[in-house]
Amino acid sequence: MSEATHTVKSYEEELQSLNKNIIKMGVSCEEALGKAIIAITTRDSENAETVIKNDEKIDKFETTIEQQVVNLIALRQPMAIDLRETVTALKISSDLERIGDLAKNISKRTLLLNENLPKNLVDALVRVSTNVQKQLKSVLDAYLDRSSSMATNVWENDEQIDELTNLCMQEVIKYLKEHESNLDDGTHLLFVTKNIERIGDHTTNIAEQIYYLVEGEYLEGDRPKGTEPIVTGEK
Amino acid sequence: MKKNGVNMIKISAKNVDVFYGKKQALFNINLEIEENQVTALIGPSGCGKSTFLRCLNRMNDVIDICKVQGEIVINDFNINDKGCDVVRLREKIGMVFQKPNPFPKTLYENISYGPTIHGMAQSKQEMDEIVETSLKKAALWEEVKDRLHEPGTGLSGGQQQRLCIARAISVQPEVILMDEPCSALDPIATAQIEELIDELKKEHTIIIVTHSMAQAARVSQNTGFFHLGELIEHGSTDKIFKNPENNKTQDYITGRFG
Amino acid sequence: MNKNKEKLLAKRYSSEKRFQFLGKSAIFMALLFLAIFIFKIFSTGYTAFQKTWLIVPVNFDAETMYLDANPSKEDLEDADYFEISLQSMFNLDKNANEKQQNELKKMVSYFFEREIKQELINDPSLLGKTKDVYITASDDLDQVFKGNYPRDLPENQRRVTDYQLKIFDQLVEQGKVESKFNLSFFTYPDSREAELAGIASSFMGSIFSILVCLAIAFPVAVLAAIYLEEFAPKNRFTDFIEVNINNLAAVPSIVFGLLGLGILLAVFQLPRSTPLVGGITLSLMTLPTIIIACRASLKAVPPSIREAALAMGASRMQTTMHHTVPLSMPGTLSGTIIGLAQALGETAPLILIGMVAFVNTIPGSPMDPAASLPVQIYIWAESAERGFVEKVSACIMVLLGFLIVMNLFAQIIRHKFEKKWS
Repeated sequence: MSEATHTVKSYEEELQSLNKNIIKMGVSCEEALGKAIIAITTRDSENAETVIKNDEKIDKFETTIEQQVVNLIALRQPMAIDLRETVTALKISSDLERIGDLAKNISKRTLLLNENLPKNLVDALVRVSTNVQKQLKSVLDAYLDRSSSMATNVWENDEQIDELTNLCMQEVIKYLKEHESNLDDGTHLLFVTKNIERIGDHTTNIAEQIYYLVEGEYLEGDRPKGTEPIVTGEK
Repeated sequence: MKKNGVNMIKISAKNVDVFYGKKQALFNINLEIEENQVTALIGPSGCGKSTFLRCLNRMNDVIDICKVQGEIVINDFNINDKGCDVVRLREKIGMVFQKPNPFPKTLYENISYGPTIHGMAQSKQEMDEIVETSLKKAALWEEVKDRLHEPGTGLSGGQQQRLCIARAISVQPEVILMDEPCSALDPIATAQIEELIDELKKEHTIIIVTHSMAQAARVSQNTGFFHLGELIEHGSTDKIFKNPENNKTQDYITGRFG
Repeated sequence: MNKNKEKLLAKRYSSEKRFQFLGKSAIFMALLFLAIFIFKIFSTGYTAFQKTWLIVPVNFDAETMYLDANPSKEDLEDADYFEISLQSMFNLDKNANEKQQNELKKMVSYFFEREIKQELINDPSLLGKTKDVYITASDDLDQVFKGNYPRDLPENQRRVTDYQLKIFDQLVEQGKVESKFNLSFFTYPDSREAELAGIASSFMGSIFSILVCLAIAFPVAVLAAIYLEEFAPKNRFTDFIEVNINNLAAVPSIVFGLLGLGILLAVFQLPRSTPLVGGITLSLMTLPTIIIACRASLKAVPPSIREAALAMGASRMQTTMHHTVPLSMPGTLSGTIIGLAQALGETAPLILIGMVAFVNTIPGSPMDPAASLPVQIYIWAESAERGFVEKVSACIMVLLGFLIVMNLFAQIIRHKFEKKWS
């Protein structure tokens, strides 16, 4: 936001409240993702259940933000930076909501997974997920600081995530081939991997929004893509 | 809507300074107005946007202490030249004012005044035609055709303003200047005028001064932002309202002004 | 705290009541004075609109008038009516001695001979017959009949003798005295004799003066006002002129009279006592009033109208003549009428230029000597005869009526034609 404050204080407060809600929602998503990953790596069903339960909270955030945005547009007719602020809030919140959903989906699948997974598979999963986690954190920081350079970094790093996802996919496919009786686990793991990758994509979306918010222009160029994914996205 | 460089430049102001006595009201204004487009001038009160508008048809001549320097070129002709005939200039550049100001005469006389003094009609029939087309263009004909010989001051505010627009276009000006034409009108009347502006831009170049940024956003293709007598920013309206370059512009249009 | 507040509130209310009371009493006082003034004028003045006539039998004896039986019109005009007139009066008391006959003669106005003549000219068939003729009573008997004359004074202090009163009372008893509407007050010029004095000469004098004044002051003032308001640059010089116009409006009227005397009469040798000179003098006085009124109404035309016209490509002259001036006309006209009404009531400058002279002819043009209504009031108020007292009041009534009509006219113009700019 600009350094000067609005002449109308309540308008300023409404914009700040919107901003805060996005950050709170983002933090909730970060938490959900973290817990989901802990759950899947440590086979901890308690964390998984918390994530499933907390998704409701995230959904509620989205509704609140949506209402706030509609109110702002209807009553304040925001212009320029305020307009971008409002519109990006709407889009970021829907991306965040998807991230929450995906974390919930991961947790649900965690509960169905076998107790013992091969270490190399878990390692591969951890590699992707920590990266995605880092991306999510950076993108939230970028939003907080209104930093287009940080957002660009996140956007560029998506390539790495795609590559790691592909590696992870290969591990899972290998696992599937080796343990044909464990078709269930394998499938779940495939989806989990894909979900993590989707979270990365949403994070990149958010980064694009932040760039637009700060610069008023769209990030030019194709989104960096890694090697073609082996399994196409499910959603 | 996008500025594509194809639009012709109708008016170009170069290094325009305006003084009221010793006080300088406009500082080195450089602005190009595109033909058959609506250009909105926005800015806080006293920023000089109306002063600039009044430079374009030399209405500032009326004020004794007002001095205009610099070049304002319309159709390759500098209107600040000594050789410029003000009467003919104002025939080519019409003006609509903030408060509807119909003459306290009949509707017909209001419209026919301009064509009469400029000798545009040879017969009563021609004059009738001018009156009718002007009123039709101003979207007022249907409402008033049965009472052309009643006083113009009996109309509603919005109708009066459309009458003033009809009066302005009766002499077929190339440019129409509008000085906050909707500030005294209700939203419906405002919407009618805005629709009218959109129609008129097909045949006229329109420059509108407005305090309502929403109105500037709605009606104009280009916007200029004035502040303390300077033209801070000028560009396509969507650029100004979505992503202005200058912080002052941003602060003004988002409502962050001191 | 609360108590203090209530006290304060009560104080505020009481001060407002006090103020209202003072205001109302001021208005009451003003109305009271006006009512007293009007009552006084009317009560003394209304009798002047009645005139007392004696009905005297006149014997139109052809021989006494040296006329033959069928006289021509010229003969009738040239005949000697004095003898039959005198005889008619003497016949009121056949036993009167010479002194009493003289008193009988003085019971009627010296116009009686002419009144009798008029009667015969109107109806020549009366020749040789006797007819009752209405003859204007002398102003003293007129006052006696109206009850304005104290009868109980000793004879040597009255102008009416005991003998005259006796005869008059006899006539009253016989029903030979009548009071009728005094048309001659409006149709006769001024006269030394109160019963014959009228306002025709001064009324016409006033009208001519006002017309001359209007013809000079209005165009000059309007042109000056339009130039100053619409065209003149605003600088120190025009400010100076404006201040001086306002000062001119405040100059005492007698000074304008001196100006008229010193310049119009002495230098330009214009005829004295004429409405022409009076009108010119009054126009000097009215000029600033009209200029101020005209400028005020030009100023009241909203600038938006001028801007509208200018923006349509009208020149300054067109803007002024097509829009500003027509819109300012109602205000200018009502200001002019009020200025003229002021001039109509003006006395002092007219006295100085000689319009105070005794004029017993009705002026036919502004070049003929004349008085004016306020001067007439002044002249009659100076006169000693009792008959003039009521005439003064009557003349004031006429003047007031004139002024009220003019002001009413000004109001009507203003309300009917003035545009409202809210």
